This record gives sequence, structure tokens and C-alpha cells, in this order.
Amino acid sequence: MSSDPITLIDYDAGNLASLEGALERLGLSYQRAATPDQAAPSGPIVLPGVGHFEAAQKSLRERGWWRVLPSLVAEGRPLLGICLGLQLLAEGSEEAPRASGLGLIPGIVRRLGPGVKVPHMGWSQVRQYNPHPALPDPHGAWLYFVHSYALEPSVETIYVADHGRPFAAIQARGTVMGFQPHPEKSGRPGLLLLQAALSWMGASAPAPEAPCN
Amino acid sequence: MPAKRIIPCLDVKQGRVVKGVQFKDLRDLGHPVDLARRYDAEGADELVFLDIAASLENRGTRESWVRGVAHELSIPFTVGGGVSRVEDARSLLRAGADKVAVNTAAALRPALVTELADAFGRQCVVAAVDVKRDLDLGWRVFLKGGSEPTNRSALDWLWELNDLGAGEILLTSMDRDGTGDGFDVQLLDLASQLPIPLIASGGAGLEIHFLEALEHGADAVLAATLFHEGILPIPRLKAYLAQNDFSVRI
Repeated sequence: MSSDPITLIDYDAGNLASLEGALERLGLSYQRAATPDQAAPSGPIVLPGVGHFEAAQKSLRERGWWRVLPSLVAEGRPLLGICLGLQLLAEGSEEAPRASGLGLIPGIVRRLGPGVKVPHMGWSQVRQYNPHPALPDPHGAWLYFVHSYALEPSVETIYVADHGRPFAAIQARGTVMGFQPHPEKSGRPGLLLLQAALSWMGASAPAPEAPCN
Repeated sequence: MPAKRIIPCLDVKQGRVVKGVQFKDLRDLGHPVDLARRYDAEGADELVFLDIAASLENRGTRESWVRGVAHELSIPFTVGGGVSRVEDARSLLRAGADKVAVNTAAALRPALVTELADAFGRQCVVAAVDVKRDLDLGWRVFLKGGSEPTNRSALDWLWELNDLGAGEILLTSMDRDGTGDGFDVQLLDLASQLPIPLIASGGAGLEIHFLEALEHGADAVLAATLFHEGILPIPRLKAYLAQNDFSVRI
């Protein structure tokens, strides 16, 4: 267990206010980091994200994160991508065919559809696809999604959801995990998922009562 | 297909949620954060806040309650009112709003919609459109909170908004708004042909009206008074829609 706060990457493409509210409700400490030197020395790193793949990639490059994240992960540092943050972990996206992804999770992010409304916006149910030690069977929990692109289900997929076709809702590989839904926007089931993922990654909530020692 | 969404709409004036008839006789309903908490607990799927007196002077007030709402709410929310530049939207999104709604400013300068979609992604851009039936134009677009008629056909404008980059349409029938007579289902039949999600607004009075709106293609339904006054509790509405085979988050 790490006693360092969770590092939230602040790069102008994430909804940090909601995420911070969710972490506070869970009693988890965090700090914003615009550049890698502002990151906590250990503990989970969260890569949030809304917007365009290429714009986000550019912003992460400018702030020095793009080069650093793969080496941090290689050292065993846990990393959680949320929404576009998950997509950036993949090898690339149809949204920006000339921009590569971080390549920390295999696969190319593909556009949803045809035959369904895009963006996929709203609450959808998720189901287990592969087991994972941190994430229990969701039993059809409703989670909130806003996205136009998604990874296809693979051996790294823990939960899937459907929009026209099944897509990866949660991906995991080693210490890297990605959520396509917004757990901070998904009511109580979302908060519980966020808590499960982050505590598996080593985040610790402050002890409720300090024992005498 | 995602669940059909139930969306309470809150009018905000100078940092307080208000309720009135056509912006007159405004009654104070409370602080946005308190109402946000209440609707989150009741099972609303999303909230829409419309700042009905948005002006340069109250931008600071607005950012502070938007930040408060983002902190407390565990469901998504949209903020609209006076968004006419990319910077207006950026400050709302940075404060924690999930989406911004544009209306009059987009009609006056349609490129705004594209600028917002390019800057933040189209999922952030809700195009609000107020319409009224008209013998010549079918449905006609009105601006400035419904006070100013235009010569624009609503259906043409909806398709244009889609092409410009809107991620979702919030369509209010002014003929039905406040009547409790039900949504304008003919309008919904046509508007739901758009390839982006459609939020139906204006006219909800009974449970069955919500069912009708969904049967006529709406992806989400929005109402204010019914929910604020506790006339139709959201859990009861959702149970009713579920009994009628619509997928709702319960």
C-alpha cells in the first residue's frame, strides 16, 4: 500500500472537478499534476480525458507526460485511464489515424456504429467478460458513457457493454487499467468501481481512527 | 442502446434555482447544489441547468455553483445560458460541467457549434432549440428564451446543427411548454430521424406523456415543474416506463 496521494494528470482535457469530488467522497487523497515532476513519488496515476484524441495527445506531449508514462508503467507504476484516457492507452484510434496511442494496451480504438446513434451517450449495462482480481461481476450495473470510439473486446477486456455491437468497457493489462465509462458520473456503482480499481492499484484511504502506536 | 434518460431541468438566476411563469413571478427553489443532491438521490439520469439571466457580471457566481454541483453530483450535468464563445464553454467545463448548451448564440453564429465541437468534442455540445408550429414553416425557430421569432424552419435547423457538430439536441415545443398536454409527438417523429440523441422537452403532465415521447423516438425526456413540485416522483415514472418495456436505469 502506498501512502502517497493519487496523481491526477491535469492537461486541459479532463473533467477533474467531478473526479476530485468522487475521490473525496471515497476518502481518497489526490493531487493534480500538470507535468510529471508534480506527480506523487508512488501510487496510482489517473489519466482522465474528454475531447479529441489528437488534441489530447498533443497536450500530453507538450507537458512531458507522453514520454514518461510508458517508463513509469514499465517500472510497475499503476495507471488508470478514464474515457478518452483509456483510448489514449491503446495503440491508436480511427479518430486520429496519423497520431499513435501510448501502446500500453493492445488494440486500435474504432468508431461505434453503423446503425446506432453516435456518440453513445447515456447509461448502459455492463457484464463480465474476463475475470479480474479487483473487479467483481457487475451483475448488469448501469454506468454512464459518452464516447464515439471504443476498443473491441479482447483477452484484456474485463467488462463489456453493447452499443450496436459489444465493446470493451473496462480493459486491464498488468498495472494498467482503462475505463470507457465515467465512474465519477455513474452514481454509486461507479464510485464502488473506482474504489475497487484504485485500492487494487495501491491507493489507501486515510485510516478512520488513528490507532495508538 | 443506452437506457432512456429522465432529466430534470433547473432554471438558475444569480446562483439560485428559480421557478416562474415565463420568467415572471420567480420563486426561489433553493441552491443548485442542494437540488442537485436531491435529484441524484431520486434517480435522475442527468441534470440540465439553464442560467436564465446569464451576463458578464454573474460569470463568477456561475462558476462557483457549477464547481459545487460537479463536486457533489455523481451523475452528469449540462449548463446553458449565455454561452457565445469557446472561452465561455471552457470555463464551464473546467468548473466541472459535462456539457454546455447553446441556443441563441448558435443561431446567430452557427460556426460556434463547430468551434465548440472541435475544441471539446461533439459529445460536449448540446444544441437547444425552441420551436413553435407555424402555418408557413411547419415548425419555426424562436430565439432569446422563446421571445424572438425567426424565419428559420426548425427541421432544417436541426439537420444543420447536426452537420455543424452538435452532439445532442434539446428540443422544446413552445406550443406545449407549461400546458401539461403532452409532448409534440409529430415533431418528435421527425426530429428523431437525426443521427444524434434527442431530448424531448415541453408539455409533460402525466406519466403517459413520457411513454409517448419515447415511443415517438426521443432518447431522453426533460421536465421541470412535475419533478420540482414532486407531482411525479422519478422512481414512479421509471417504474412505469420499465413496465412498458422501456429500458431505464433503476
